[in-house]
Amino acid sequence: MPAIIHTEKLRKVYAVGKERVVALNDVEINVEKGEFCCIVGQSGSGKSTLLNQLAGLEKPTRGKVFIGKHEISAMSENELAEFRQAHLGFIFQSYNLLPSMTAAENVAMPLMFKGVPKKQRLALAKKELKNMGLGARMDHLPTEMSGGQQQRVGIARAFVGNPKVIFADEPTGNLDSTTSKQVLFRVLDLSKKEGTTFVMVTHEPSLAACADRIITILDGRVQSNVLQPDEVKEKNRTELFASLEGNMEIGGAAAKPAQAAEPAKTAQNGTAAQAGETGEKP
Amino acid sequence: MKISDLISLSAKNLARRKGRTALTVIGVVVGTCAVIVMISLGIAQNKNTDEMLQNFGDLTNINVYGGGAVAIVGGGGGSSSKNQPAKLDDAALAGFKTIANVVAVTPQYRAWNTQGTINAGKTNRYTASYGVVWGLYPEAMEPMGFTLSQGNWLSPTEKYGKDKLPVLVCANTAYQFADTRKSANSSKRQRYQGQTDAAGNPVEPFFDINSTPLSLTITDGAPENPKTRTWQLVVVGVVTEDRAKGWWTSDGIVMRVSDMRMVDRAYQDLIKQKSTTTPAYDEVTVKVDDVKNVEATDAVLKEMGYSTYSMTQTREEMQKSVAQSQLILGGLAAISLLVAALNIANTMTMAIYERTREIGVMKVLGCELGHIRGMFLIESGFIGFIGGVVGSIISLGISAILNNISTILALFGGGNVDISSMMGSMNSYGTTGSAISIVPPWLLLLALAFATLIGLLSGIAPAGRAVKISALEAIRHD
Repeated sequence: MPAIIHTEKLRKVYAVGKERVVALNDVEINVEKGEFCCIVGQSGSGKSTLLNQLAGLEKPTRGKVFIGKHEISAMSENELAEFRQAHLGFIFQSYNLLPSMTAAENVAMPLMFKGVPKKQRLALAKKELKNMGLGARMDHLPTEMSGGQQQRVGIARAFVGNPKVIFADEPTGNLDSTTSKQVLFRVLDLSKKEGTTFVMVTHEPSLAACADRIITILDGRVQSNVLQPDEVKEKNRTELFASLEGNMEIGGAAAKPAQAAEPAKTAQNGTAAQAGETGEKP
Repeated sequence: MKISDLISLSAKNLARRKGRTALTVIGVVVGTCAVIVMISLGIAQNKNTDEMLQNFGDLTNINVYGGGAVAIVGGGGGSSSKNQPAKLDDAALAGFKTIANVVAVTPQYRAWNTQGTINAGKTNRYTASYGVVWGLYPEAMEPMGFTLSQGNWLSPTEKYGKDKLPVLVCANTAYQFADTRKSANSSKRQRYQGQTDAAGNPVEPFFDINSTPLSLTITDGAPENPKTRTWQLVVVGVVTEDRAKGWWTSDGIVMRVSDMRMVDRAYQDLIKQKSTTTPAYDEVTVKVDDVKNVEATDAVLKEMGYSTYSMTQTREEMQKSVAQSQLILGGLAAISLLVAALNIANTMTMAIYERTREIGVMKVLGCELGHIRGMFLIESGFIGFIGGVVGSIISLGISAILNNISTILALFGGGNVDISSMMGSMNSYGTTGSAISIVPPWLLLLALAFATLIGLLSGIAPAGRAVKISALEAIRHD
């Protein structure tokens, strides 16, 4: 399989006062299409910097970043904006929903930047929110939702444009452990179904243990780049999600009669909705 | 991103901070009102000046005087005239007609040197001086703006029969005639316009000028057996009175200049003095097609060596002084708009600080730089536009209040205040009761466009700042 994300001698140097801090030092990584890749490391190791470089949020000091065939490290800001519209999705630690917009409008925002007409993009956004089990919350403002619900809106927003790659910077950092697991379950479920490459920065080893690939950064260098064997990650995933016991109403009230049935239903909806588009994925 | 989305996004953002937006808009409203009201005062003053001058005379007329013939010297006697003053004769007048934008030229000829009388009635009982007769170019009368209340214009060429001369009379011409049967000192010898009898009824002239035979008689003035010559005068029309065109339109008699020249020659024959000089006119009126061309034509005439006078000169002086006071008032108004602009810039800068993370998120989600800039420019332009609309409406109200201020003050028991005389010297020329403030539609549109432009301009720097915000702001943890 060809690498969808590829870096060459990626180097990033920050000037802190008069000192120069090398945040990334000749990082070379490959992430393959459809992979779930976790970037782990201690605070200050440079893992967030790496994600920023991969997503084109920052220009590298030296080196190249490719997504597919495109060298995003050489793109202008406007080219990057268009590239993000077309190919990338983002999930943020602090959700970053626009406070003046409803859940549906927030999800529809990337489509608005693309120029999709209002009716069409709201319909797509609502479909995506239903997949996330937020059918009843579509017209709510972010302030009227729990953290878990807000993050699910964030996930819907990342997936709405059918991106090739989704980047997430500690998406569960502000959530409790149960909600974190639920959020991760949703993301994995969707990205596997749609063949989306998912790159996540995380602190939590238990979440990272579920990844296809674990990249460990230490002092700006790649310490290890491990492709986990299928049986290991399957085992870790089963262990992680076992505690959920089918409780997929993320951040919502715990006990509901229909809880057990919900994930299955969501999965079905998701499959039906996305079946036609999965084939178009690169 | 669609422009409609951009606009609705901007509107939503403005609505989020209603109080702050309202305060900023009020700043623009005040500025717009100040500018509109100040300019409207100037427009009203200029209009009042024009109206006033129109009462004095036609603005598109230039009076031309022979070089050195008249005391008023307006830079006449230029290099072309040398020592010989420019002469106002028929040839010169024909030349005037060829000047660009000139629509008509006519002398206003008075035969001062010819002794004669106008007689009316079968026995020539009523008589008036030949001095009531004005010689004009018949073809120039209509273009000059004279009108007839009845009858026809004088034909420039037509012969009206042997010893018959065509004339135009005016409504009150008959009052010029005296009754020769009354003694020279009798108060009943003359009747005048506006005279009333004992019962208070207006006194009619001695005769109806349209149905009474008129004649012109010249005489050599010899005490015994004077030689005379007489022409019958045929009234072909009656000129409508318009004192702005000349006071003689009330009670004068108009003859063709050519006829008057012929009478002059007959008089010279009578007194056996042949004039060798070609006759010249004292004063000629040149009519220009538009007020704005008067100045240029005036310059051409001066260049030819003539002295000129036009109402436009007075008008310009007056407008200049109005413009001067306008400049001061307008400057004050502009300052309030400048403050409004700073206000907008401040509001936008604050909005951008508040929304730094939002802007970062939008960038990460693929919003192009131009759209971010556009969003903020639309917001600031919107503030200017709304301020302009509200300001225009309010200034219409202020204008209405100013124009009715005396009525309003009277209602509240205040004394009779003449605001127009307070507003400036121009209005005190007896034009009280006219508008103090005139707001034409173009002024409203201009103010609206200007307010919007100010909004846009003050948004440029803040929007530039927004564009520079890094996408990294979105992932900064707080």
